[in-house]
Amino acid sequence: MNMSVPELLINDGFITKKDREEIEAFSATSGISFVKVALTFGYISRKNYERSLLNAGYTFASIRDMEFDTAVLSKTDLQFAYERVAMPLRIENNKVITLMANPHDELFLDFIRFTYDLEPEIIIASDLEIIWLSNKLLGDKYVKSAVFELLKRDPDSSAVVTFTSPQLISLFILIALVTIGMVLNFKNTSIIINVLLSSFFLIAIIFKLFLALVGSRFELHQAVTKDELKTLTEDDLPTYTILLPVYKEDKLIKKLIWNLQALDYPKFKLDIKLVIEEDDDKTLNAVKDLDFPAIFEVIVVPFHMPKTKPKACNYGLHFARGKYLTIYDAEDIPDTDQLKKVVKLFAKLPPEYICIQSALNYFNRNENFLTRMFTLEYSYWFDYMLPGLDTLDIPIPLGGTSNHFKLNELIELGAWDPFNVTEDADLGVRAYAKGYKIAIINSTTYEEANNEPFNWIRQRSRWIKGYMQTYLVHMRNPIALWKKIGWKGFLGFGFFIGATPLTFLVYPLLLTFFISYVVFDLSSIRTLFPDWVLFMAIFNLMVGNILMIYVNMMAVFKRRYYELILFAVANPIYWLMHSVAAYKGLYQLIVKPFYWEKTNHGLSKVNNSTNVVK
Amino acid sequence: MITSKSVYLLTLSVILVIYYLVCGVYLHNLGYYNHESLFYIEKAKILFEGVGNRLKVMGLTSPMIPFYATFIFTPLGFTLAPVLASAIGTGVLFYIIASTLIKRLAGDFYMWLLLAMFLFHPGILYTACSGKSIYLVLIFFFLFFLNLFKYYRSNTTFHISIASICLVTLIFCDYKFIWLTLFFLPLILSITIHSLNLGEQESIFRLFQSFNSPSLRRKLINKTFSLYIILFALPLVGVLCYKLLNLTHANDLNYFNESPYATWNVLIDKLSFDTQSTGKIYRIPEISMLVSARVLLFCPMIFVAVYLLRESTYQVLTILTPFALIEFMHIKYDKVFIAYQYYLLFIVLTFLCVIIKWQTVKNQQAFKVILAIIVLVQIYFGGYYLKTSSIAEEKNFINVLLNRTNDPSQTENVDVANYISSLPGDMRILMDDATAYPIVAFTHNIQPLILPYGNTFLSALESPDKYADYVVIATAQNALTGYTQLNNKYIISIKKTIPDVIFRKVFETNDWIVYRVISNKQ
Repeated sequence: MNMSVPELLINDGFITKKDREEIEAFSATSGISFVKVALTFGYISRKNYERSLLNAGYTFASIRDMEFDTAVLSKTDLQFAYERVAMPLRIENNKVITLMANPHDELFLDFIRFTYDLEPEIIIASDLEIIWLSNKLLGDKYVKSAVFELLKRDPDSSAVVTFTSPQLISLFILIALVTIGMVLNFKNTSIIINVLLSSFFLIAIIFKLFLALVGSRFELHQAVTKDELKTLTEDDLPTYTILLPVYKEDKLIKKLIWNLQALDYPKFKLDIKLVIEEDDDKTLNAVKDLDFPAIFEVIVVPFHMPKTKPKACNYGLHFARGKYLTIYDAEDIPDTDQLKKVVKLFAKLPPEYICIQSALNYFNRNENFLTRMFTLEYSYWFDYMLPGLDTLDIPIPLGGTSNHFKLNELIELGAWDPFNVTEDADLGVRAYAKGYKIAIINSTTYEEANNEPFNWIRQRSRWIKGYMQTYLVHMRNPIALWKKIGWKGFLGFGFFIGATPLTFLVYPLLLTFFISYVVFDLSSIRTLFPDWVLFMAIFNLMVGNILMIYVNMMAVFKRRYYELILFAVANPIYWLMHSVAAYKGLYQLIVKPFYWEKTNHGLSKVNNSTNVVK
Repeated sequence: MITSKSVYLLTLSVILVIYYLVCGVYLHNLGYYNHESLFYIEKAKILFEGVGNRLKVMGLTSPMIPFYATFIFTPLGFTLAPVLASAIGTGVLFYIIASTLIKRLAGDFYMWLLLAMFLFHPGILYTACSGKSIYLVLIFFFLFFLNLFKYYRSNTTFHISIASICLVTLIFCDYKFIWLTLFFLPLILSITIHSLNLGEQESIFRLFQSFNSPSLRRKLINKTFSLYIILFALPLVGVLCYKLLNLTHANDLNYFNESPYATWNVLIDKLSFDTQSTGKIYRIPEISMLVSARVLLFCPMIFVAVYLLRESTYQVLTILTPFALIEFMHIKYDKVFIAYQYYLLFIVLTFLCVIIKWQTVKNQQAFKVILAIIVLVQIYFGGYYLKTSSIAEEKNFINVLLNRTNDPSQTENVDVANYISSLPGDMRILMDDATAYPIVAFTHNIQPLILPYGNTFLSALESPDKYADYVVIATAQNALTGYTQLNNKYIISIKKTIPDVIFRKVFETNDWIVYRVISNKQ
């Protein structure tokens, strides 16, 4: 029992003396306790750690239901408890009942003695249990900040109010005008609506084709070349935080570790945080049960509404140590040199660039129809559209993951909006509105494409709802937005963020009109719309569909996914699925705007291999 | 630096446009017109001034892009619009070629060479001053091949997509270019084989290797197929959509290509051949092999181009596809002479090859001398081919240009148009613009005209006594009399069906007679 934990671990052969020196050196410079470094930087698995302590005669207590005293808790800061993996609970028999993962952490023991003027009574517990409890009991201040910080600092940018009064008034006036028009002159009103919709569709599609062409123009351009990467030395590399917000992703934990270990970045300069919700025992237990060393820390987000990913990320931000920060999903496989590339690119770019977006694509693209269509869509979006927007200096709606931030600037921006369900897209526009810029990098993260239709619709409905939220938030004062992001940005925002949900909402209606016209040759449609309107509408429908299909083809051609090229023809069916999701999103926007439709991951049966960049 | 180059090129282009405009307006004042420009003028007049189904005229007039390009200039004058379009368009063509050149070539020699061609080559002058749509064909043909060559070099989707878009535009400038896709089918396979990562360099062995390895075979098939789709999906679907549009608005899939109301060259091609082959000296269209030989004589720079690209088979094949195209057209449209614009294609194509491959020549001095001589030869043969062309309006152009005498070919049409314009405004005149579009083009006010696009045409055709005050009839001497209902036979048949109607001849030329329609009941 008198042997210290490091000695115990060496004695049991779980770490070497060299490991111990490394851990202690890093612990001394970072302020993170020895045991935390050992457990979260890939030196020892939790199972072995427990085994070692149990062999030494220690016992691990179950602590979740233990009594606590808020007065005692109030004297300890969560950050400190988190770093030392220890916390005081209550005072009993003139001793401070203290939970510790490492009973020999003298720094924490001294803190207890000094703060409470009493001796500690140590209860050994698993580090994850202590983290869970400390976050739950001490994290209130942090979670409140995660939820309300943006609202307090910049209420106009928060989606807590979905529709503002002027927006509602404008909407109702528009509906009233259309209704009055329909009553007074049904035919002409229908024609005007049709012409407006048709023109809007055509402009939106031509704009997208233009963007795709602009984007594809630079497909050989490498933001960071291999030679540039070679010039990077380890000393140039700053601490890099990776946030991994997960919810019930127990099946993916092993894959996650494998993917993270493949990252080409010095171990001690990585600050990887697995952000778990308080009620997510599944994932926590999966981490606990790992029988090999983990290379991430765990943060538990205490319960607070809304239960969204941005809230979890904001919470995780409080514990981030890096100069740069990125977010990955649990199943993501980034190019191994992605972080280094980002560091290099940030060094090359002017200071106003605060975010770099990597391309996203799918590793299970050939699994079924849906994954193929998803791959087509993502290839086009990340390889053509975003570089196109980047080139034209139009706000880039960030993708869900693999966006790399400068941490300080991210915090200054107010971080993610917890009430927005596409917080990434919102943040991209907000960054532009505040005068910052976003760049695109030639590095890809491979994700798991949704391969199940209902799961897909859930995910997509959230995205489309988020786009609606984002559009409403930033259009609260259109003139101010225009002034902030310029006419190009404003139009780009309108056609990109605003037009996307609208097109999917209108698409099935126009398609129904067209099918009725072609199949049933409804004479009423002919009388309703004069020849020139029908001409224009059919032209738009045909040209629009063809151009969008073609752009999709171009994108997979660029990625050399030749086997997918014909699937682009199925896009009109795929868009119908978008329409279903759009109507679901619209419904949710009205009845439960902050509800986070969870996407299930780990459904793919495709084995993903790490994407090593040579 | 880049800005100054652009400004320099822009200035040169503007000077060229002015030069072309001076020539074009001069020719216009001498009364030079051609069927294509007259057709566009007529359709533009219908769109601006006509009453009836103008949507059909606007949507289905073919070739579509040249028509719209001319249409843009109509506010500056109907009859001058085609000349303005072709002069400015040729200036744009110069700018495109010159900017490609300036990015790749050092020294002014090649620019002088290009300028010489644009200033003195009779074919380029014909392109710029005739009001025809050759300039658009040349622009998109050049861009198509330019992007194709860029694709060969960089393997980027962007360039192949732009090439595809240029091909679409090219087809909508001249539908015959749809056949170009046919000759790209084997070429694409060759391109794909070249793009595979193989140690073997010789094309035939690369093919052998690719077919014998299952993974390479799959890759080859997938890539070839994808390349087909990327290059040809847009043109083919574009044409399909256009045909559907024709079907829905004209009840005929090929209306745009086969109806004399939609396109100018249906009747003109027939007329051109009929005139030549039934004339005093019977002239058959060019004998097959000779067409290619004629091209070689017209554009000897093709030898230089083949020499420059000799190291890659597929690139040589690429520049040989236009040969295949004209040979094919010669077989497919066997009764039509190969128009001058198809010869001109080789001028821009071979110059493109020089631009992209000049640096491979070691002895630049000799190369420049050869090029200069070739350009001189090309200028000479450019004039010679126009002078000896089997197509009347081509020959006519060079004659008017060189002799600077008034062109009498449209005098009759102008006279008829002047007579119609002198009639009181409330008179209604029945005409068939399938053949009489030159008259419509010269008529000041087309509202009194009853033309096929109008709602009353069919009724007026059957009962001219009720709907029309005058009718314009093609005489038996008119070469196109067989292609219109409004000819001598019409008068006889109407007299049989409506005995009360009297046609009184009020104006007559060799090709046209204007009748006053008088009903005895009146």
